[in-house]
Amino acid sequence: MISVFSLSSFSLSMSADEKDYKERLIATVKKEVKQVMEESVTRKFVHEESGSVTSLCGAVENCLSQGLRRRALGLFKTSSTTALLHKIAKHCAEADRISKKVQEIENVDPNRRSSSSSDSVTKPTLKKNLSFPTSPLPRYLWIRLALFDKQLSKIIDYLVSNAPKYYDKDALVADPDYGTILSSLLVGPCALDYSRTKSVEQFWTDPPADELVQRHRISSGHSTPPSVRRPILNFRRSLNTSSEDTFVSRSTTQHLAKDYVESLHQNSRAALLFGKNNVLVMPAKDDVTEPMPGYLSLHQTPSGLTIKWTPNQLMNGFTEESQDKSIYWDYALQVRLDDIVYVHCHQDSEAGGTIILVGQDGVQRPPIRFPKGGHMLAFLSCLETGLLPRGRLDPPLWSQRCGANSTTKRRRPLPALSETEEATKDYVFRIIDNSDHKHLLKRNDLMDIKASLPTKVRVQLCSTSTSSESSSKSLSIDQQIVPDSPPNVCIQAVCDSMKKQIISRAFYGWLAYCRHLSTVRTHLSGLVNSKIIHGENASQGITLEKWQELCVNGVVTDYAEVYRLTYFGGIFHDLRVEIWPYLLGHYKFGSTNEQRKELDEETKQAYENTMSEWLAVEAIVRQRDKEDQAHAIAKLSSESMSGEQVPNEIQRDLSNEVFEDIVTDDEESESEDEKESNQRNKKPRKTKQNTIKYDSDTEDGEKQEPVDQSNEELNNGHSAEKCDVQDNENENIDGTVNNCLDGENLTCELQIHGSIDVEIDNREELKDFIHNVIVTNASVDISNLENECPIRNHLDAVTEENNSSLDTCIETHGLASPARSACVSPASSNGGVYSQELLKTFGLNLHRIEKDVQRCDRNYWYFAGENLDKLRNVMCTYVWEHLDIGYMQGMCDLVAPLLVTFDDESLTYACFCHLMERMIENFPNGNAMDCHFANMRSLIQILDAEMYEQMHAHGDYTHFYFCYRWFLLDFKRELVYPDVFTTWEVIWAAQQVASSHFVLFLALALLETYRDIILSNGMDFTDIIKFFNEMAERHDAAAVLKLARELVLQLQLLIENK
Amino acid sequence: MASRKKILLKVVILGESSVGKTSLMNQYVNRKFSNQYKATIGADFLTKEVTIDDRTVTMQIWDTAGQERFQSLGVAFYRGADCCVLVFDVTAPSTFKSLDSWRDEFLIQASPRDPENFPFVLLGNKDDLEPRAISAKRAQQWCQNKNNMPYFETSAKSGSNVEQAFLAIAKNALAQQNSTVDLYNEFPDQIKLTNTQKPSGSGDSCSC
Repeated sequence: MISVFSLSSFSLSMSADEKDYKERLIATVKKEVKQVMEESVTRKFVHEESGSVTSLCGAVENCLSQGLRRRALGLFKTSSTTALLHKIAKHCAEADRISKKVQEIENVDPNRRSSSSSDSVTKPTLKKNLSFPTSPLPRYLWIRLALFDKQLSKIIDYLVSNAPKYYDKDALVADPDYGTILSSLLVGPCALDYSRTKSVEQFWTDPPADELVQRHRISSGHSTPPSVRRPILNFRRSLNTSSEDTFVSRSTTQHLAKDYVESLHQNSRAALLFGKNNVLVMPAKDDVTEPMPGYLSLHQTPSGLTIKWTPNQLMNGFTEESQDKSIYWDYALQVRLDDIVYVHCHQDSEAGGTIILVGQDGVQRPPIRFPKGGHMLAFLSCLETGLLPRGRLDPPLWSQRCGANSTTKRRRPLPALSETEEATKDYVFRIIDNSDHKHLLKRNDLMDIKASLPTKVRVQLCSTSTSSESSSKSLSIDQQIVPDSPPNVCIQAVCDSMKKQIISRAFYGWLAYCRHLSTVRTHLSGLVNSKIIHGENASQGITLEKWQELCVNGVVTDYAEVYRLTYFGGIFHDLRVEIWPYLLGHYKFGSTNEQRKELDEETKQAYENTMSEWLAVEAIVRQRDKEDQAHAIAKLSSESMSGEQVPNEIQRDLSNEVFEDIVTDDEESESEDEKESNQRNKKPRKTKQNTIKYDSDTEDGEKQEPVDQSNEELNNGHSAEKCDVQDNENENIDGTVNNCLDGENLTCELQIHGSIDVEIDNREELKDFIHNVIVTNASVDISNLENECPIRNHLDAVTEENNSSLDTCIETHGLASPARSACVSPASSNGGVYSQELLKTFGLNLHRIEKDVQRCDRNYWYFAGENLDKLRNVMCTYVWEHLDIGYMQGMCDLVAPLLVTFDDESLTYACFCHLMERMIENFPNGNAMDCHFANMRSLIQILDAEMYEQMHAHGDYTHFYFCYRWFLLDFKRELVYPDVFTTWEVIWAAQQVASSHFVLFLALALLETYRDIILSNGMDFTDIIKFFNEMAERHDAAAVLKLARELVLQLQLLIENK
Repeated sequence: MASRKKILLKVVILGESSVGKTSLMNQYVNRKFSNQYKATIGADFLTKEVTIDDRTVTMQIWDTAGQERFQSLGVAFYRGADCCVLVFDVTAPSTFKSLDSWRDEFLIQASPRDPENFPFVLLGNKDDLEPRAISAKRAQQWCQNKNNMPYFETSAKSGSNVEQAFLAIAKNALAQQNSTVDLYNEFPDQIKLTNTQKPSGSGDSCSC
């Protein structure tokens, strides 16, 4: 095989030894560059300490040292190139940067660094550039650093352009050709990312998502939508040909992406036959005025030869200015030789040679101009070799003077093409394709040529299937037979057996495909709507104009169109307020303005009523919290007090605590576990026991822990007391609170609240409210229970407590006799209004809501201020109405985008209720999540067999827990707000347009977006979780949505296609 | 990434919501505190390398959702844990009271080999905040009754004691792993039957 660097053998004859030496130097650099690039392709990354990096640096060093004017420049240091670097640092920014780094490292004593691991943790910045903590400074330090920093080629560029200043006239760097060759050779290695030697701290750290994505970009070029590179419908045995078709039909830009860089080098999929830097091409684009230099390469893939040309700009570092470079992808060339019929060669002794490829349709490809030095000839020669045996150049490049009976073959290039003194020569070659099977059989002699073509090519002539597995077997036969049997017989036999194999393979492939399809139809047909709705003219979504068309006099009837437009293009942001209620089912299509206004009013009224209900309960809950807190603090202080006194007492104190803990734990966990019925039976008894226990305690150590004891008293007695109070209140204020719970006569209830506006946003008002309630309780109870002194005392205390200090409160409670708490009747006896359970459950939910609301999207502008209170109100209202469900983490995240859009509590609440109809099933007590996981599994199995196989290999994979948050929150946490809006409305619309399981396809699209990273890094279950958590809010939502829609369509077509 | 012959310690952080599990993990691994964390949904983990007695080990620290309803999800995450970190908020008594249920639930779901001696570490977080509701003594007493569980008072915000706490966690996890490894040591080498067939199968097919 002719490699990239064979071109040196075609170069012009050189006489001087010096020339020879320079040649050798540059050849070494080339060799090392190739080595490094190959390493980067095969291993995905190059280690900084890799031997090939060191040799490359050495080769560069040699080039740079040659002809350096040491004496004149006063460079006497041991490493003169380092001195040179410091010298040019003044004029060259890149060199300056590296120079500083070198000095920084040289100044650090290497011994200190290696001392302790914990020490070095504190200097991460130093570590970063310093991968050699224990060894002495590495050789070629500055070249290394410049390479890792991607500055090397720029520095050498500078040196080359200012060569006369620093170099002798005949130095390599000063040479017009070699200098530029040297700097351009290093462009490739400078584009790579080098992995560092891991220090003790980072020894096994998995690469963060960032690095993975970065690595992927480097190896695959710009944004690679995976579906493009490799169609996901991947029936590997049978569908190869079809996938190949789509592969080709995609636009060149897309095709380029993955293959570039990777495919420009030798790799498993394609053999590199020829490669040359700085080949000029004038891209057929309007905005390019003069030919651009680029990298020309010739590749042999199983399906044929491909010529690629990539602008130099793309060969430079991918990481910087990625935006600007994207246009260059349009300039890049990729020509399949199958499409080419003629090769026009124009030879020019001045400027090298030009090749123009002409296609079957007569269209000329942009001229490819080779630099001087026999490169065109080299290219043609490689091309001819590559064409063999399937095709050939006519006339042959090499005149073959072999008669029918002559055994010796002498080869000589056409005289015109060897660069002689003749000025201009033009040549036209025709590419003759012999790939036809019959043709091939007739031309047995073709096989006779023992050319150095790769063995696999021989197989591919017959088998168009590109599957490596399928071709491998026929190959083995081929190899076994060919060498020792007469050519005619053996080829006949081989071809026959191949034919049989191909047919049988095709048959079994087809059979498998059919079986596969039936599985798809039976298992996955439910996931997509059978009717395919197309997205013509819908990519803009619902714009203002469209909405005006759809919404005639405030009535929207064409709901199908609304759904369709939303699904394919989303909704203009300002219209979301209007349209989302339709999508969520709050507004009915066809309703009039008036109807909707009425509905809004009703919604608002109902919302406010509900809110006032739970606000009343909240007030009580807050009061209790206050007391609990006081209790806890008092307990803490008593603990420390008693602890200092007598050790014995600590012991008792302790046993108390443990006991108390158990009781409260039971209560709490039971209510949490929704075993309220159980609890009702158990609790009163427990309270009693508790009291008795404390009584006995009091007898023992009355003096030592009076405060503590009284606290327990307060704790156990008070809650019950509270309910009692509540009940009394209910009886005495004409059953107002009863009403408020029953939901009748709601206006009455508002009377009590008096000054309080229903929409209480203000905390102070809320406090007033609490105060009011308590005062009411007290007065009512006093009038009612005049005779019961202890209770009155107690209630007075409660009233007081609002204003007085904690100590007083505790003291007052301490006075109450233990007997009282025992005689208090349980709340339920009075009809269960504000029952203990209710208070407890709602209180618990309230606390949870509060914790999460505070943490919800506080960095998003909308929630920076008071709007979090609105979120809380909506959340509490929902939970109050659905106490059986209760608050679950994640609900806040679902309310937030609605609230941001509507900025209206009641509308948000109403829409949220509709949203939850679907979402609730995802939460822990529903079973939708398991269904999602199961469906994901099937979908991946069908749509991406390769991924499925890998997932299967890592057993844990089947769990798909990395999708958990995606499904629970409809991707809300994965995307930034604007994208959440778009994604949500597409999900809602998808139900009507394409699939009611659109989230599955979104999830699949997300997976597919990163499939190459996942596959190439062999990620397992945990790696994927980590990867996606790190990638949250950094996805390209538009691309993911598009891909998801495509996936739905793919499945629809698959099912439809009968 | 998938095949690594290294010591991997799996640590699970449990506790009521908003006690600071995510903050603790991030303070330890990244040495930074943010007040912007959202409620954790599902689970996340971070890894960190530590050196314990001259051995470099990787700690894989799993952060879980704090609402107990999501515990059913835990099985997948708890499995194979080497140490369980219980966290409560020293200013919130309820978070302390629920520790028992968290511990029990973990033992049920993770079902470690030797539940009696499975290492737990208790962290009382937010010790920079006032007022305190749970004294150190009370927490220590609780730990004493639970097989002398180590107890640390930490502040994810200031970072105080976090490093020490996690070092203890790592040590306990490593000890746990060593003890379970010993159980398997009777069978020194695994014999893989499946792999032996592969080379012969791939011999005649060149991978092109």
